[in-house]
Amino acid sequence: MSDVVIDVGKRPVREVHEEIQAAAQAGKSITVTNTLSRHNLGVGLPAGCSIRFEGSVGYYCGGLNNGAIIDIERNAGWGCGEAMASGHITVGGYAGMSVGAAMLGGTIHVKGDSGPRAGVAMKGGNIIVEGKIGYQSGFMAHGGKIIALGGAGPSCADALWEGEVWVTGDIEDLGVDAVVTEPTAEQVAEVDAILDPLGLKDTSRDWRRIVAGQRLWYFESRDAKAWLMI
Amino acid sequence: MCGIAGRILNAPGKVGRDLVELMDAQEHRGADSTGFAIYGVPRDSGYVVRAMGFDRDAMGKDLEDYLAILRQHGGDFTADPTWDNGDSQHYSVRMEISDPRDVAMWTKAADQICERLEMQSVGRSLEIIKDTGGAYEVADKHGVRDMVGTHGLGHARLATESDVRPNASHPFWARPFPDVAIVHNGQITDYYTWRSKLERKGYRFLTYNDSELIAVWVSDRMKEGLSLEQALIRSIDEIDGVFTFMIGGPDTIGWAKDRFAMKPLVVVEQNGEMAAATEEQAVRRVYDDDGVSILNYDGPSLHGIWGVGNRRAAA
Repeated sequence: MSDVVIDVGKRPVREVHEEIQAAAQAGKSITVTNTLSRHNLGVGLPAGCSIRFEGSVGYYCGGLNNGAIIDIERNAGWGCGEAMASGHITVGGYAGMSVGAAMLGGTIHVKGDSGPRAGVAMKGGNIIVEGKIGYQSGFMAHGGKIIALGGAGPSCADALWEGEVWVTGDIEDLGVDAVVTEPTAEQVAEVDAILDPLGLKDTSRDWRRIVAGQRLWYFESRDAKAWLMI
Repeated sequence: MCGIAGRILNAPGKVGRDLVELMDAQEHRGADSTGFAIYGVPRDSGYVVRAMGFDRDAMGKDLEDYLAILRQHGGDFTADPTWDNGDSQHYSVRMEISDPRDVAMWTKAADQICERLEMQSVGRSLEIIKDTGGAYEVADKHGVRDMVGTHGLGHARLATESDVRPNASHPFWARPFPDVAIVHNGQITDYYTWRSKLERKGYRFLTYNDSELIAVWVSDRMKEGLSLEQALIRSIDEIDGVFTFMIGGPDTIGWAKDRFAMKPLVVVEQNGEMAAATEEQAVRRVYDDDGVSILNYDGPSLHGIWGVGNRRAAA
């Protein structure tokens, strides 16, 4: 049961944002209604904040999250949870392009599919997608894990750095310098520990763990073709 | 970054009003200029022409010279031209004309005075309205909300590749193909290469906007015998850059997206009607029911065609 209900509609997002921040600072649980896929809702929320967005949100929802628990009922637009440091974001439906871009920590749980470049340049944290991850997901990820339970689109894990992309289901094709490895039991246990609190643990899964082939880590003029493929 | 929109109704209705809302919701994507392509009820013969003149004080002389060229090519005004009452130096004029003998030949001749009066659309039903300013500003000035039709396109422009000028706004007409218009979000990187190839084939471009190319490119491929769908597929392979574009025709709106999946497209299809936009919040201006099913065409190398059902009958 929420303490505060904040309506969005056609109101200026700045005004909505100030109300959300004030309620969050006061430690109230918040429900945001009539969101109409508006942008920049729930950006920069602090630890201790619990907020639910009814319907769908636009771009950058939950961006710069600093520990809040954010629940989005339906779809999220581009850059959901961009650069978040910590906290937990749940997207009930589809997450658009670049979900979790450059995130540093925390968890994003997408119940539907995700768009292109999920976790682009992420540095840490986990993105769990129950459906399929889109084109070029994990592009240049520096750290953290993307875990896809419903397969992956084309150019999966393209130019991955030190992040990991875990996939069960079909992978349309792999990106440049992406290498599929057989995970060890310890590594699978680590992923299961991430999935368990979300109720998604299933030990019968056939995992593929994708990591960097490390060809792109150092520029090598004899291997320039690999670079040009990016 | 620009914003685009498309709308299809299942019978002639206030498509102008819907497109104004779709574009107002995306004004933050590009407030330099706004434009609309509206497909009204088609006529069996004759064309409706939308043109922009650059010196309001010279409108009388411009129209006189324009009519003289039209008459040389076998056409004539079938109604008195009408124009906007704005206070800008440039003006927009709407003309109804009888068929010239050859539209391409006549367009070439009419473009001899394009420095003064530039044709922005020619069609049995297509009318392109564009101007500097936001959606409501352009709609108020040109009466866009009252325009009736079955389908249309909208565009909010953030100029990245060429000047902010009223005539460099979208949508672009596929000069000289009647009833073909385009809106585009993105950048075409091999624009000059394609432009010079098409110029050698006799096409003329009136702005340095890269998007003007796409409409002519697709129409030229169709003139060579490709279907709309084949031309859209080819555009993804052959045109370099990032793009999501929509191309309007008499009975269709087609669209294509580049290989890198850089530019979004959000669509609602319901009961034979359709609204498409760059951002989901825009389609919610038309479909505010929260339960409506939203399609995100986010992947790379996608294309599609929406048909327009009943263009003439009342709803």
